[in-house]
Amino acid sequence: MSAVEVRGLSRSFDGREILRDVSFTVGHGEVFGYLGPNGAGKTTTIRILLGLLAPGAGEVRVLGRDLASDDDARRRVGVLFENNGLADRMSAAGNLAYYAGLYGVDDPAERIDELLTLVDLADRRDDLVGTFSTGMKRKLGIARAILHRPEVVFLDEPSSGLDPGAQRMVRDLILELSRREEMTVFLNSHHLDEVQRICSTVAILAGGRIRAFDTVANLTAASDRLAVTVSLADPGDRAHACETAMGLPFVAGCDVDGDVLLCTLADPGATPDLVAALVGAGFRIEEVRRSSRSLEEIYLEHVDLAEGGA
Amino acid sequence: MSTLGIIAGREMRVALRNRSILISGLIFAIWLPVMSAMGIAAGAGEEVTTLAGSIAAVTLPVGVFMGYIFCADAFLREKRDGTIETLLCTPVSLRCLWEGKAVGVAVPAYLTTLLSAAVTAAAVTGLTGAPVAAEPLLLAHLAVVVPVWIAAAAGLIGAAQLALGMRENQILGFVLIFGFVFLIIGLQQVVPGGPGISATTEAVLAAAGVALLALARVIAGKVTKERIVRTIP
Repeated sequence: MSAVEVRGLSRSFDGREILRDVSFTVGHGEVFGYLGPNGAGKTTTIRILLGLLAPGAGEVRVLGRDLASDDDARRRVGVLFENNGLADRMSAAGNLAYYAGLYGVDDPAERIDELLTLVDLADRRDDLVGTFSTGMKRKLGIARAILHRPEVVFLDEPSSGLDPGAQRMVRDLILELSRREEMTVFLNSHHLDEVQRICSTVAILAGGRIRAFDTVANLTAASDRLAVTVSLADPGDRAHACETAMGLPFVAGCDVDGDVLLCTLADPGATPDLVAALVGAGFRIEEVRRSSRSLEEIYLEHVDLAEGGA
Repeated sequence: MSTLGIIAGREMRVALRNRSILISGLIFAIWLPVMSAMGIAAGAGEEVTTLAGSIAAVTLPVGVFMGYIFCADAFLREKRDGTIETLLCTPVSLRCLWEGKAVGVAVPAYLTTLLSAAVTAAAVTGLTGAPVAAEPLLLAHLAVVVPVWIAAAAGLIGAAQLALGMRENQILGFVLIFGFVFLIIGLQQVVPGGPGISATTEAVLAAAGVALLALARVIAGKVTKERIVRTIP
């Protein structure tokens, strides 16, 4: 059984289809990145998973349960929305104590002390949350989300509105929690650098559909094997060299891109064969580079395809 | 402590830390009674039951209005800030959440109304010399009728604030308040017994309050999480 299962999920608002046949699963202990542009339906997916919205079609399960109808199952799930879920007119410890009561946390005082120390807010425990900076509120929000030791935690844009230092702090905190508390993390984000650093698996949502769903390693490896840039000593040879490359069985495609050839290889191990074939055809090669694309490039490619109506 | 108690306790603590709501509540709780006391003293003479009836008539609208004031913090602010969404993800049922918040609103509203009644009684006593505070029916009114009506008002207004968008809430808040006030005045006029406080008036008001409380529970039961989330601004 997966920690999170989404099968054939669709949902419309006022006749506008937001999610179309969305399916993915998240394994136990994974840090899962759910990517997509603003308005893609990421938050809608999370709200449906949490039982706040009903699915239009399809089925969702968290830890095998439907959180909409199962009050007790929500005890095993934590959530952090952008507003952190904190009362400004209560102290940091007071906010945590309130949620500890709602979740029935055993020995809440000890757990609150532990978490305030973890998020480096122990010395501000009695201060009103309204006096905190955005980063401090976010840290306290994360502490609140994991207060009851959930098995799955949903984090909706945890780095949104934070400066780079605070973003790094939140990222490190998520990684530490994932390791220390062994929880499944469902990270809803469009901070691609953050996702690439901390997530093991990602799904890219664009145009209401899942455009890619794989491990970060597989996605980036898949893109690495596709693209090779070749710089020629004689720029006038580029068009001819491109034709030659296209005739090779292991080359899926070739374009002249500025001063270089951009070859797409069907076989990830064929770079030496490409070089040998071009040299054998009389072209003088100055540089060959495997083009390493980041998750950002892969994401933008899928989003552009979706916006183009693909 | 029960979950309902935890939620109610938190709402009371937050309300007590909201200076603007406390100040406006206290001004209303003192200003209106003093103005009313002057009118009561001038028009009612020294008839004890008439004085008690006039004070009772003032305390119900004050209580309902106090409920409205404190609801703004417990229900509307939670929705405006979006923090209600986090609460909806806890293992607490929507009904328990609504009940806890309604109790958390009703208790400070009731205490402020008692303060208001005490100020009115003191002012009337001072102006007329009549011992209105000792009237048993007035005490029963304050102990039973007023809290029931405040709980009904808090429950109804709270449920409406959860279910409606911000703009609709601005309009509906006033509609509900005036609806309550007109209902109170209407009942006091229709029920036989004259201008003074009477057992019949109190029984009718208590029954109407219980009916309103039951209506609030029914309406709150119709509010869904989806409705709340989709009306968050």
